[in-house]
Amino acid sequence: MKAVCWMGKNKLETLQVPDPKILNPHDAILQITRTAICGSDLHLFDGFIPTMESGDILGHEFMGIVEETGPEVKNLKRGDRVVVPFTIACGNCLFCQKQLWSACDNTNPNAHLMETMYGYSGSGLFGYSHMMGGYAGGQAQYVRVPFANVGPLKIESDLPDEKVLFLSDIFPTGYMAAENADIKEGDTVAVWGCGPVGLFAIASAFLLGAGRVIAIDRFPERLAFARGIGAVTIDYTQPDVSVLTAIKDLTGGIGPDGAIDCVGLESHFNDLQGVYDKIKTALFMETDRPGVLRQAIQAVRKGGTLSIPGVYGGMLDKVPFGAAFGKGINMKMGQTHMHRYMKPLLERIEKGQIDPSTLISHRITLDQAPEMYKVWRDKKERVTKIVIDPWATKVA
Amino acid sequence: MANTLKEAPRLEPLPRIASAAIIEDGRYLPPPADGDGQTWVRTSTLIQSTPEECYRLWRDLPNVPRWQELMKEVRVTGPNTSHWVMEVNGKTMEWDSEILKDEPGKRIAWRSTGGSPQNAGEVIFDTAAGGRGTIVTILQEFGFGRVSSATATVLSRNPKQAVIENLRHFKALVETGEIPTIQGQSHGPRGVSGKLKASLYGEHVPTPRGDLQRAS
Ligand SMILES: NC(=O)c1ccc[n+]([C@@H]2O[C@H](COP(=O)([O-])OP(=O)(O)OC[C@H]3O[C@@H](n4cnc5c(N)ncnc54)[C@H](O)[C@@H]3O)[C@@H](O)[C@H]2O)c1
Ligand SMILES: [Zn+2]
Ligand SMILES: [Zn+2]
Repeated sequence: MKAVCWMGKNKLETLQVPDPKILNPHDAILQITRTAICGSDLHLFDGFIPTMESGDILGHEFMGIVEETGPEVKNLKRGDRVVVPFTIACGNCLFCQKQLWSACDNTNPNAHLMETMYGYSGSGLFGYSHMMGGYAGGQAQYVRVPFANVGPLKIESDLPDEKVLFLSDIFPTGYMAAENADIKEGDTVAVWGCGPVGLFAIASAFLLGAGRVIAIDRFPERLAFARGIGAVTIDYTQPDVSVLTAIKDLTGGIGPDGAIDCVGLESHFNDLQGVYDKIKTALFMETDRPGVLRQAIQAVRKGGTLSIPGVYGGMLDKVPFGAAFGKGINMKMGQTHMHRYMKPLLERIEKGQIDPSTLISHRITLDQAPEMYKVWRDKKERVTKIVIDPWATKVA
Repeated sequence: MANTLKEAPRLEPLPRIASAAIIEDGRYLPPPADGDGQTWVRTSTLIQSTPEECYRLWRDLPNVPRWQELMKEVRVTGPNTSHWVMEVNGKTMEWDSEILKDEPGKRIAWRSTGGSPQNAGEVIFDTAAGGRGTIVTILQEFGFGRVSSATATVLSRNPKQAVIENLRHFKALVETGEIPTIQGQSHGPRGVSGKLKASLYGEHVPTPRGDLQRAS
């Protein structure tokens, strides 16, 4: 089959690789019908997440048709159409029982790597480094899905793939981000980053009762999208704009009740701190560029809640923890507990409350993926979300 | 004041000695330190099952190779004795083992009685605080010092890590009926650096298959 392989930092190739096989009794093999490129994939592309091996197949947002099932998979059969959550969960450990699916104890074959770095290991993830399990991803024609008895969500209606594909990650991620901001009726919420995660977080914040959402980014098409779904926008690169002042201006000087960092470890800044973090990460003195995190801690109101869906990987420098403490803020973060949200969010799509496919700006083939990662990284061509048809030979 | 400080509606009586002596008379005990010709490892895991169920699988010696890394065979040779065969990088290691304490649902202690590596150990099955599953604690001692432990690390897994990984496999098998693995999955060309990393991460050690044979 064809698959997008990570061959080193900033080096991807679409290659012919062996088809996946059933390796364990709860495995299933899917023929992938649609797959997407995520903001998280950029952290791998750019070499920010350690423990990638050359030859790794990328991709964690995918759906497809069940091709084959292992002997212990009773809930699926050949021909079923399913969306697969990017976090792999066993369903039986203490964490799965607590619905903390992305903290599953039993799905990371390389748990010891994450234990060394983080104290304890989270669940395995598709196509997301060896410390997160080393599982082959889904930017490919076929994929092996471990614990297929627990994760995949069957799509029984005739909704097109594009409307349900984002249940594999970014819709639940945006939704959990809003939930983690502890939104009360009428709250004001600030959202950094208007990529897919940010946009879903904005939409979800409104679904959960936010009265006002302030959205921050620099790309006009993304800001326009955010305004289109009801947010007030701040272009942080506009001359004379200070995000902190703007947020104060928009909240009567008290700051938002909730702040959501949908940017993560590669935040972009033109000012001195941006240069500082660039140099430090280049010299390996810092692993992440936490500019947005710093700003969000400053911006959120006293006693407010900071929700962090944006990914961080390692050691962060100059995080204003004193400000967090001084204002008594709450913080919630982490990989999405996917399995909690997929079904209820599918129902919202089925009821027509939201159409995730409106985010898609590009439809491509697997062969185009390595080039399109660059477009995605640099946010060229007004890109908002790239979807791959792994069987197409020409773009539709 | 003294009374309010004593209110603890959910407090459970402390085990006097629990889990290979992690707690003794209410105090935490650190694991034994390595010495000359002695390597110790103590590790524990929380399993969503009963102590009896965990004991039963652990005590099922012929099935041990299905969850312990590099184990070729465990042959029962008597009511309390067995013969163990391990293969590390094509080299066979064999030893005889004798069970010293066998308390169903609670504890198993053993020691080797000949062969190599010389080893002894104890595994304890305790109900976790709040009844939240079973804490399985293993204390294992190897009769070799730092030098051969370091050699083994280069050749395969550090023996301490092997004990930790085996307990992790055991937990996965009890909780899910399989041991997670990525061995045999599809990938592109690994190249020199990819292969080096894979062995650095311990990915070359075959994952035990987890395919238990039910006794007929
Ligand atoms: N927690 C999870 O489970 C999970 C799941 C999916 C994605 N993520 C993470 O969410 C983040 C966003 O993902 P995405 O797919 O939307 O990515 P994306 O790259 O499309 O979006 C990031 C956006 O942040 C903006 N940005 C950069 N610097 C900024 C700054 N200083 N201020 C305001 N905005 C800034 C960029 O312009 C861009 O629009 C990533 O870190 C991704 O890894 C997390
Ligand atoms: Zn993603
Ligand atoms: Zn689990």
